[in-house]
Amino acid sequence: MAPEPDVTSLSNPLATVEQLSTSSSQLDGVPPDLENSLRFAGAQLTQAAGILLRLPQDIIAQAIVIFYRFYVGSEGGSFRINALKDVSAASLYMTAKISFVPQSTRSVLNVYAYLTSSTSPLRQPSETSAKPNPESYYLSEGSYQSARATLLQTESILLRALSFITQVTLPHHLALTYLQTLGVLPPTPTVKSTALAARTLAYLNTGLFSPQLLYLTHQPSALAVAAIYLAAREVGVRLTSAEWWEVFDVDREELGFLVVGLGSCEGWIKGEKGRWLGKSCPLTLEELETEL
Amino acid sequence: MNPSNSLGGDINPQQNPYLPLTGPPDNSQAQAQQQPAIPPHLKHQPTRSSNLKRQITDQLLAPIDILEYDRPSKKSKYPGLVSEGMDKRHPSSFQQLEKLGEGTYATVFKGRNRQTGELVALKEIHLDSEEGTPSTAIREISLMKELKHENIVSLHDVIHTENKLMLVFEYMDKDLKKYMDSRNSGGQLDYVTIKSFMHQLLQGIAFCHDNRVLHRDLKPQNLLINNKGQLKLADFGLARAFGIPVNTFSNEVVTLWYRAPDVLLGSRTYNTSIDIWSAGCIMAEMYTGRPLFPGTTNEDQLQKIFRIMGTPSERSWPGISQFPEYKSNFHVYATQDLRMFLPQIDQVGLDLISRMLQLRPEMRIGALEALGHLWFRDLGTLRAQQAQAQAQQQQFGGMGGMPPPGGYGYNSSMV
Repeated sequence: MAPEPDVTSLSNPLATVEQLSTSSSQLDGVPPDLENSLRFAGAQLTQAAGILLRLPQDIIAQAIVIFYRFYVGSEGGSFRINALKDVSAASLYMTAKISFVPQSTRSVLNVYAYLTSSTSPLRQPSETSAKPNPESYYLSEGSYQSARATLLQTESILLRALSFITQVTLPHHLALTYLQTLGVLPPTPTVKSTALAARTLAYLNTGLFSPQLLYLTHQPSALAVAAIYLAAREVGVRLTSAEWWEVFDVDREELGFLVVGLGSCEGWIKGEKGRWLGKSCPLTLEELETEL
Repeated sequence: MNPSNSLGGDINPQQNPYLPLTGPPDNSQAQAQQQPAIPPHLKHQPTRSSNLKRQITDQLLAPIDILEYDRPSKKSKYPGLVSEGMDKRHPSSFQQLEKLGEGTYATVFKGRNRQTGELVALKEIHLDSEEGTPSTAIREISLMKELKHENIVSLHDVIHTENKLMLVFEYMDKDLKKYMDSRNSGGQLDYVTIKSFMHQLLQGIAFCHDNRVLHRDLKPQNLLINNKGQLKLADFGLARAFGIPVNTFSNEVVTLWYRAPDVLLGSRTYNTSIDIWSAGCIMAEMYTGRPLFPGTTNEDQLQKIFRIMGTPSERSWPGISQFPEYKSNFHVYATQDLRMFLPQIDQVGLDLISRMLQLRPEMRIGALEALGHLWFRDLGTLRAQQAQAQAQQQQFGGMGGMPPPGGYGYNSSMV
């Protein structure tokens, strides 16, 4: 008695054209390219914190999407008002809270204290990686109390901004189902089928960092199809020659756009790393003010 | 094999006389078109002042109203991430009346909208200074916004202030528990009321399941009744959305008495069938006025179930010994005839309830299928008769001290 699958339950609310054309941050005087960097820094921070908290990737990915949703559009949050580190922490804390792996405020804040400290690996390029200095990220009881107040307050602001729509449907599960449907994921995995699945998921995870906000502009089915297309081409798996993406409700035009979008992420991330080489992308309000 | 065979010897699961052979059950309600909720954005004036942070935390309201964005493409069936104007309502828009009860994580008050005079239920949730907004509240709000159905209590508004969250629900007169207690019958309900409530309960459940939501905590206290005889599901604090593939769930769900045996046995991959088990327990309780399986602990609960339904074995339930809470030394009870515990029930009703109270989750009837069960076929006629009887009673000055159980003719679409 499985319920009838409902298209809407496998989809996400998407950003509108107006929401993508401007943002609260831009209205507050943040240049668009810096805004892209801030979004990337926030997504990276969320991903890193999630890994340190040993959270499953689907929780981390949902938190990153929530983080993006908060800052989108002229009615959304502004990087000059709500610091990206606070919103990142609140996104991750809230997403974990409603999942089956809730985290304590203390764990979350310890991790963020470490990741935003002066000796954090996010602050310095990995080549020079000096040993982090524990004193720089020790969170005393007093600092913890005030950080927690900020975290919970930011959570409230976040929930209100999202109007409590906290569900994020990810393309990952769909992609695996599609691979099975396409008959390229046999019950007994081969080297190639394993590589195909791994690369598909890798494209989807990399896509989370896209400056084009692909997770806010495209439905999970389209993201899944594009990731499969790229991964199959890369691994050298022949998919059926027919226009198989049509079966998953994705047209050629959208697929083409996403193939470019997902494919260009790696280059963009490298560019970002180069841009902030030797300094750090502003993670706090004060740093952002200095940058501006 | 099938435990229902031992309940009523004349019931053959292959050729059941009570289930329609063809034609889908009337599920027009459950399939009623539902607009997915769309997250509007925080409305804040993009002033450039940095004390705005202060302002937005003060008193704002997350709008509930839904605005469908028509994307000029064929994909417009998808919802948009849309901003919209915000309703500047705040707690003082409602006059707080008497306390209705303490929920699991909130206090509920009766309230009145100062502008419209409309009665509402105000669910006040205190924001925990340790953990922030309770996860139950986040889940409840996000699910309730999507679940718009006449058998699910409707969430009108969410008012968010610095230290509390107030959910504004439609007002319902009482919960099923209090409703049963208020009848001078030891809690037993009459035949028509039971049938009407079961039908509405199953419609609410079917709608949830169709929208991939498990309620997980169905019990008489969470079913609300109004003076029109309508029943609505409430308290979605434990509910969760399920997707594909189903993650393992916590087994801390559902009040013990209404908890399905597979959950009691430690299953973490349960599905929609857990809500059906609860519905079966509630149906029995409406007949007798007493809970069917009033266990005190997990083990006692299982024992109370087995005492009536029979102790399952690897033969009647392949794989049962793999459950974490399975004990090879369970006391072995023979299956009892449910009729002995529900003397008032008719043969057709007995068939329905025994299909809901199947020990094995995969054997339990689904909500839609249950709605198509023969037992509900005469519901329309019965409601019409009752409405007529009430009309006559009123006409002839019948001032019977007992309030009518509800105007069943009211809701024609439920039949």
